[in-house]
Amino acid sequence: MIRLVAGLLVAAVTLALPAVLDDSALAVYILLGLAAMVTVGVSLLMGYAGQVSLGQGAFYAIGAYTAALLALGGVPPVAGLVAAPVVAAASALVIGVPLLRLRGHHLAFATLAMQLILLSLAGQLEFTGGDIGLQAIPQFSVGSFEAGSASAYAYLTWAGVALVMLVTHNVIASRPGRALRALATSETAAASSGIPVGRYKLVVFALSAAFAGLAGGIYCFYTGYVAPGSFPVLISIQYIVMAVVGGLGTIWGAVVGATAITLLVQGLNSLAALPGMPSYAPSVLSYAVYALVLIGVVLFLPHGLLPAVAGRLSRKRESLRAR
Amino acid sequence: MLTVTGVSRSFGGVYAVRDVSLTIADGEVCGIIGPNGAGKSTLFNLITGHLAADHGQISFLGQRVDRLAPHRRARLGMSIVFQAARVFRGMTVRENVMVGLHGRTRAGFVSAALRLPRHRRDEREIAAEADTALERVGLAEWADRPADRLPIGQQRALQLARALCARPRLLLLDEPASGLRGQERERLAALVEELRAGGLTILLIEHDVAFVTRLADRVVVLDLGQVIADGPPAEVRADPLVLAAYLGQAT
Repeated sequence: MIRLVAGLLVAAVTLALPAVLDDSALAVYILLGLAAMVTVGVSLLMGYAGQVSLGQGAFYAIGAYTAALLALGGVPPVAGLVAAPVVAAASALVIGVPLLRLRGHHLAFATLAMQLILLSLAGQLEFTGGDIGLQAIPQFSVGSFEAGSASAYAYLTWAGVALVMLVTHNVIASRPGRALRALATSETAAASSGIPVGRYKLVVFALSAAFAGLAGGIYCFYTGYVAPGSFPVLISIQYIVMAVVGGLGTIWGAVVGATAITLLVQGLNSLAALPGMPSYAPSVLSYAVYALVLIGVVLFLPHGLLPAVAGRLSRKRESLRAR
Repeated sequence: MLTVTGVSRSFGGVYAVRDVSLTIADGEVCGIIGPNGAGKSTLFNLITGHLAADHGQISFLGQRVDRLAPHRRARLGMSIVFQAARVFRGMTVRENVMVGLHGRTRAGFVSAALRLPRHRRDEREIAAEADTALERVGLAEWADRPADRLPIGQQRALQLARALCARPRLLLLDEPASGLRGQERERLAALVEELRAGGLTILLIEHDVAFVTRLADRVVVLDLGQVIADGPPAEVRADPLVLAAYLGQAT
């Protein structure tokens, strides 16, 4: 009951916000939604299936470039937005075959390297526009309706978040989801229960890449511009920080983490933009904050924000009932 | 049921298992015993596919399986209860057992993501069957608890329920009695006897000789990676080679 009320409340606020926010606040709201979409995938991959990726930004970029290239080539934006997660997932399947033979730190570094390689390729190649990137990407449109306003993109983004959360929720509480959670504990025992471990790792990698690709597709239409500089390695780290802070292995935790970190970074950015601050202040501050927040959460709230708060609430409720 | 022919495996030039041959007949309970380092675990892993053999063949139900991945052997009907606690963390007891039905069910990512009616029906059947298995091993009242909080004896019972859910043709038990106290051990032995009475073929790898001789129809003794005796428990216990290599150690 409490869950249902909380869910409805969150949905109502999510739907009401685009109407009341101004354009600069809406920009934050949209970027927050996009980050949440990617982070749900990271939480699925790391929290449930036990695989690490320090390269989710690469799939975000692949989604963005795919949608941008198709739109610039005259393909209807809807088709581009559908293609973005599909191409991201397909890339993950191809890259994942050699990569997912690695585990733990090795996998983390390999995915990080993948993103670096991809970024330098995008910066060199002709058809991706080199370092300048792709510009003048048309607005997103469905038939004759064109998403001209920021609030339209906000609705599109949060519809995407809802879709990604629903898919993740359904997968987790099912046969394939149990298989993923099983192989996170022991690949040996999972295989002995008849689970094709390699194939499942590949599919969950592709699924999390699809979420990132979808976010990337929306991003390119919203900003109208993509370049290698839009997808620094820092954003991949940011997704992991968001997932860990919110609580790995919880779907809502990913959204909570994305919200907390986005708001924190926004606050710091306005702090760093104060007169008298050096020009490198924003990047130094955000790196420092990621590090501090991550260490703090791991030390004091090892299961993340959401499980910690939920646990405290349910304990309080129990003690009230006991009285 | 299972035929192992001339199987060897070495680690860094040292044979852990050397030229081992054995057969397990339909409906038989076969025990493999041997002192520490005799190669029991290696042989177990070779049979289940978690290690690849250097030489030799393994056939299961008349089919060569020595090149098959572990999950393929599992789907042919090999189920394992591991010695080390291999219950899946972050899942309830029931969910753990439901994993055992993986090989017998089909619903994939797409039908799960879309919650197709077929998937819902599958899920209900899987949960019902898992509950039956939990009932059988005496864990029904724990079904909704987190699996990793169970005591070790119940974790092993949980693994047994998971293995049985796969409807195995051959059940492999790796040191099932280790770490169990008197009463837990007794309950486990009773369960194995019940399964044997039901006609299930069982391979029991065990350190505890008394446990094996009580349950097994036939005992294979390994020492230094080789089979030194193979026969009914009473006969094997009297074998001078076995006494020297294994039982003799204890005295």
